[in-house]
Amino acid sequence: MEGSFAKELYSESLQLSNAELGTEPIVSGDLQDDGGSLWGGSDEELERESDLDREWQRRHDQFHTIGYRGGLIAGKEASAQEGFNIGFKQSVLAGYNWGIVRGFTSALSCLPNALKERLIEEQEKRNKFRGLYETVHSISTTDALKFFHDDVLRNKAEEQSEHAKASSDVSGINKDSSGCSHLENYVGELQSLLLESPEIKSHLSVK
Amino acid sequence: MNSQSQSQSTSVEDIFDSSLNLEETHFKEGYNEGYSNGLMSGKEEAEQTGLRMGFEIGEELGFYRGCVDVWNSVIRVEPTRFSTRLKESIKKMEELIEKYPVLEPEDESANEIMDSLRLKFRVIRAGLGVKLEYDGYPKPKEIEF
Repeated sequence: MEGSFAKELYSESLQLSNAELGTEPIVSGDLQDDGGSLWGGSDEELERESDLDREWQRRHDQFHTIGYRGGLIAGKEASAQEGFNIGFKQSVLAGYNWGIVRGFTSALSCLPNALKERLIEEQEKRNKFRGLYETVHSISTTDALKFFHDDVLRNKAEEQSEHAKASSDVSGINKDSSGCSHLENYVGELQSLLLESPEIKSHLSVK
Repeated sequence: MNSQSQSQSTSVEDIFDSSLNLEETHFKEGYNEGYSNGLMSGKEEAEQTGLRMGFEIGEELGFYRGCVDVWNSVIRVEPTRFSTRLKESIKKMEELIEKYPVLEPEDESANEIMDSLRLKFRVIRAGLGVKLEYDGYPKPKEIEF
């Protein structure tokens, strides 16, 4: 599915660097033109040699830079899919659970009242579902993504501080950290509402 | 004179030889340096993209799952509420969701399944006569982490 992903990401920079290569041709003719006096011994020729050294240094730096650019792009392409997969697998289930909350409350709010009452007997619970729908509906995917990103950063920070601590009660800390996340709060709210509503069954995954 | 010109031509070749070799060496040095930096930065950049896309795809798929869960609950309490055709569509949609390779971002069947899901969703939505929208799609705007 994401086979051409690396190309999409880097084709632009690739073209850019090709263009640079094209506009800065490496002139090799000038060396040959005065090649006849390269190995002379006079002062003037020594000076010319040091000029030549500088010229070579410049060209060699240039080759280094060109090589670097090419290597950078090749390296990025080589690791892009791997990095993408890591990120994808890290977020897709969180997005999925959050999406269930969104889809479930949305579809429920679209049902006619009589049906809602059959599914959820108590008015109070229906109101809670309604409230959750309104909250969730006001959160755009972009917002949700930001929440998620904050969670990822926080989890990373916590992981690091956990590593510094003794690893004896890591599992306890993990539970705490997932509990304080924005998105998981909504997931948790739906979960507890569903537990109280035996007529409705959801595939909200239990972690 | 003869031998001198020969030695000259040899040293000229040597110089161009070593010049070419040096250029190649510098190119390779630069390339290797760039490659290892690219491996690291490329992985990090792509990871961010993966985080974003994984979340978005997960959200959309979850959205459909949540809808199907509600509709299935309706079918359970009132089996005759929806038409047979509608029920079939809902069943088909559920199968598609279950078939979706959630944890396989490289699976090429994913796009096709998502397209079918979107189509089915629209069909069911029309059948129900409700205004139900997945707001996350199409994506509102590009987000930077």
